[in-house]
Amino acid sequence: MTATEYNYSVFDGSAEEFREFAVHAPKATMRAPSLPLEDLATGRIVEMSELWRSEVALIEFGSFT
Amino acid sequence: MATGSMDDLADRFADRAVRSAFIYTREAHPGENYRHHRSMDDKRRNARAYVGHSKVRRQILLDDLEGSAHRAYGSLPNMTWIVGRGGMIHYKSAWTSAADVAGALEAVLDFQANRAKKQWVAFYSERSAWSTRDMAQFKAGLERAGPQAVADYQRMLETNKAARAAPTEDVGPRIPGNFYKTEGESGQR
Repeated sequence: MTATEYNYSVFDGSAEEFREFAVHAPKATMRAPSLPLEDLATGRIVEMSELWRSEVALIEFGSFT
Repeated sequence: MATGSMDDLADRFADRAVRSAFIYTREAHPGENYRHHRSMDDKRRNARAYVGHSKVRRQILLDDLEGSAHRAYGSLPNMTWIVGRGGMIHYKSAWTSAADVAGALEAVLDFQANRAKKQWVAFYSERSAWSTRDMAQFKAGLERAGPQAVADYQRMLETNKAARAAPTEDVGPRIPGNFYKTEGESGQR
């Protein structure tokens, strides 16, 4: 998926997304995938695994809209 | 989104070795005022607008422009996940309900504290969860994004058969992420 496809300009509410989440996304008891993210406040690159290295990680995904 | 209640939850659990973060994704309902991202600068700008408006207190982490982390976790617009110390997923939720997350966090902390002592073994389980939906707040968010966001959502409602289906006594109003079908819909009578 390209950045243009991912960042759709028009919301169409595909119900398939929920099936994708339920069926294909990682499941409870699996190892969490770790990817690099950018800290908005500092610009520093943070590996997701840093969040759960020594603590329980509570992670919410979202956007302004 | 339940920004305030999730911030309160993060504060409440911070001294119990819980680290909270908000991962900023693509715009779920892009509109004239907050458009889809064509660059990381677009994403940073909208994320800062979100922080300014919602006064979110948790760490904000930006996914890359391709949504690599968001897609790895299932791409839904307002998921919450709890990952145990070391990396095991304990909780994944299609929508975010602070009350449901609080209960799950208590269970995870209980497990982590007592796992060895009581010889508990984690196993896979699924269940449903529930919350109220503040449609007035949701509509205000669409209007803030711009007229296009309002129109796109209305069009989705008109074309999405599940969203238009009448509530049933079993599950109440249907929402995306609820996979329930009545006996008639599922072909079982």
